[in-house]
Amino acid sequence: MEHKNKFLRNLFIILVFIFLYLPIAVLVIYSFNKAKTNIVFTGFTTKWYTELFKNRDLLEAFINTIIIAVTSTVTSTVIGTTAAVGLYKYKFLGKNFVNKLLYIPIIIPEIVLGIALLSVYTLMNLNLGMFTLILSHIAFSIPFVITSVRSTLSDTTKKIEEAAEDLGASKFKVFKEITLPLIRPGVISGATLAFTLSMDDVVISYFTAGPGSNTLPLKIYSMIKTGITPDVNALTSLMLLTVIIILTISIIYQSRKIRKKVVA
Amino acid sequence: MKKILFFLIGLLLITGCTSKSTNQLNVLNWTSYIPDDVISDFEEEYNIKVNYGTYSSNEELLAKLSSSKKGTYDVVFPSDYMVSLMKEKKMLTKIDKKRFNNYENINPLFLKQEYDSKNNYSLPFLLATSVLAVNTEHIKENIEGYKDLLNKKYENDIVLIDDQRIIIGACLQVNGYDINDTNDKHLEEAKKFFLKMKPNVKAFDSDSPKTFLMTGEVNIGLLWNAEALLAQEYNPKIKIIYPKDGYALSMDNYCIVKGSKNVDNAYLFIDYLLRDDIAKRIVSEYPYIATNRNVSQMSNKKLKRILKNGSYIRNIGSNIKKYDKTWAKMK
Amino acid sequence: MNKKLDLFKNISLWPVVIYSFVLILLPLLYILFLSFCETDYVGGINYHFSIVNYLTIIDSTYLLIFAKSALIGIITTLICLVIAYPFAIFLMDKKEEVRNALIKLVMIPFLTNSLIRTYGWIVLLRKNGIINNGLTSLNIIKEPLSLMYNNIGIIIGMVYTLLPFMILPVYAAVNKLDPNLIKAAKDLGANKFHVFKDIIFKETISGAFNGSLMVFIPAIGYFFISDILGGGKQMIIGNLIKDQFLTARNWPFGSAISIFLIIVTFLLVRVYKKIGGNIDELGGM
Repeated sequence: MEHKNKFLRNLFIILVFIFLYLPIAVLVIYSFNKAKTNIVFTGFTTKWYTELFKNRDLLEAFINTIIIAVTSTVTSTVIGTTAAVGLYKYKFLGKNFVNKLLYIPIIIPEIVLGIALLSVYTLMNLNLGMFTLILSHIAFSIPFVITSVRSTLSDTTKKIEEAAEDLGASKFKVFKEITLPLIRPGVISGATLAFTLSMDDVVISYFTAGPGSNTLPLKIYSMIKTGITPDVNALTSLMLLTVIIILTISIIYQSRKIRKKVVA
Repeated sequence: MKKILFFLIGLLLITGCTSKSTNQLNVLNWTSYIPDDVISDFEEEYNIKVNYGTYSSNEELLAKLSSSKKGTYDVVFPSDYMVSLMKEKKMLTKIDKKRFNNYENINPLFLKQEYDSKNNYSLPFLLATSVLAVNTEHIKENIEGYKDLLNKKYENDIVLIDDQRIIIGACLQVNGYDINDTNDKHLEEAKKFFLKMKPNVKAFDSDSPKTFLMTGEVNIGLLWNAEALLAQEYNPKIKIIYPKDGYALSMDNYCIVKGSKNVDNAYLFIDYLLRDDIAKRIVSEYPYIATNRNVSQMSNKKLKRILKNGSYIRNIGSNIKKYDKTWAKMK
Repeated sequence: MNKKLDLFKNISLWPVVIYSFVLILLPLLYILFLSFCETDYVGGINYHFSIVNYLTIIDSTYLLIFAKSALIGIITTLICLVIAYPFAIFLMDKKEEVRNALIKLVMIPFLTNSLIRTYGWIVLLRKNGIINNGLTSLNIIKEPLSLMYNNIGIIIGMVYTLLPFMILPVYAAVNKLDPNLIKAAKDLGANKFHVFKDIIFKETISGAFNGSLMVFIPAIGYFFISDILGGGKQMIIGNLIKDQFLTARNWPFGSAISIFLIIVTFLLVRVYKKIGGNIDELGGM
């Protein structure tokens, strides 16, 4: 009875993973398809992995996406981290209000933030393009960084900081040498989250992009409507491979750290 | 920390420079209309960077133009009625025909149309007609007009262009009214007809309705002629029918947007598209009806017949709100 | 206080204050303002006060879309709950390393492009797609099933895209449960259903509500999923707003719907706080 139960439980877990990986498996398989459409599988080829580098539009969109993701991640991590520390440390008029505002981008539907930003850019007569895209990505990333950093701040960090300040260290020095190392996990996870959100954002980019600032998600969106070519599948497979490699390295790195600790 | 900041500033500079220093042109065009390599060949030949955006309906084009800052777009391809509306709203620049080397390539049959009688603001690019495409392998009945689409056998078997003027227009025509009718009662009848047909409609798609026919997802489509021809090329069992109730003509035009910052490049681009070899390449990939007289797809006689039996969508001014509302209720 | 102290305060606080006013408050106030304006037929905005947009929302056509959209959101959320709970509970049997690895494995798909994953579903679900062809060749079904270009397609797409947002908070909450408590209940003869209802669910309800918010709210706005898998006729609120801004040229009406959505969201968050949820945990991955 117990044995059968365990089997059923594992089966459920496996089924969930099949559900999660099925569409991705399909995409990877079709990246080796000879035909130009994803309709029928006509034969094996690897040509799309080279074709991919000839598709200038797709590559341009990919590069734009990387530029936007890197710029917005760096900016929002810097602003978000210092802000989380500042908001934790200081009291000021309207602090409560600012804190409330910061939750809004996390909870409201993305589409609302998207159209609201578009309206304001139009009001300010800004040219829609890379600049507005980066600005929008910063806008939705900062609250996630702040929440993530905030979760690593605690009374202990506060006490250590105060002790250091009492010993005469400047606020900047305290921030750099004491606070930052303590909150590092929060900063890293906040930055990772910001980067991931930016790389994959469809909704907000859809409203705030302009001519010459196509991103990969937007390009793929328009291609889904007119027909996806297998070079997109190839690009996705490569991106997936990169993600898996990075994750594996980070897991190995972490487990080594744990082992070192154990040895020490 | 400092390194990161430098990197950041560097990136900003790069993005700032690439978007300003190069010679460029901002084009907004229909999806699936000009092959990518035609654009990239233009970029190479003239050393102009083309920022190419797309839209799926005239209304979307209008929304994009009116919400963006002046000078965001240079060349657009509105259809007849949208040319007239944009002209009225002073959104277009007057065109100097003498600046085109290839102006003579345009078939005079397409010039001086009612929506821009002197072609001061627009030159014809391609003609699209709405047609019915039927996969005769699965649909054995004879389909002649929109009424035949009501057959209960075709449940979930139709794809329609996602365009309010074309679909409402067809529903008006089936009741014997004009494609541009704005009478409330007639619109109500059109809505009723549509709701009767709705269970048979599987999807609305303007970008690539042919895919639905090609993959066998549906067996009937109301779509643009080129899309139907491409579907037929893929599956010869697909038959193309000009509906007996009438069909829409949609003449898409080259226009230069008012406030364009790259007017010279816009002229170069349009002139390039007017070239015989380029026109041929475009219609061989997207087989709409070319306006270039040196691209022979059909005789002038047949062309005249198609023009005579179809109707242009017209600018109906503020009555468009009635269409907006009817459309929201239909979908 | 010396000057240096103030400098750090200023540097750490001014950017976030400016940011929250310019990129959050101003845009929201502006659409609130727009929602009380009117528009002409080409999309020009007439700046005079009117509540016509809010009256239009109550029009039966739009109410129907809201109801349908909410229904799709609720069904998506329930399906996610039904998958996430057993998944999290069954995972408890595993060793910690295995558990961590499996949770990472849940995340991997979501680090690739969400649109292309949605596209993967087209290849699977269409009439002559992999699932239908597989089932017909195995003689399980005779006629292909309608799995997309309808509500089923939209719900599959939504569940797929939003599932990790449910699994993670539910898993985190279940992970915090005291195993002894469950064991004690079982020893006292409680059946499985009661253990789940009276202990597990009660203790993890805020995690479940957190997940539900993170699933339900996007599910009423993700227009791209209903666009791709719904065949353009199954409108959800997201499509309605998008259309107002990008085709129907009616920004004021689109703004009014957005304001309505914001109010709904705030009400939901209030409920979440009432049942003891921590707002800092929302959206955390």
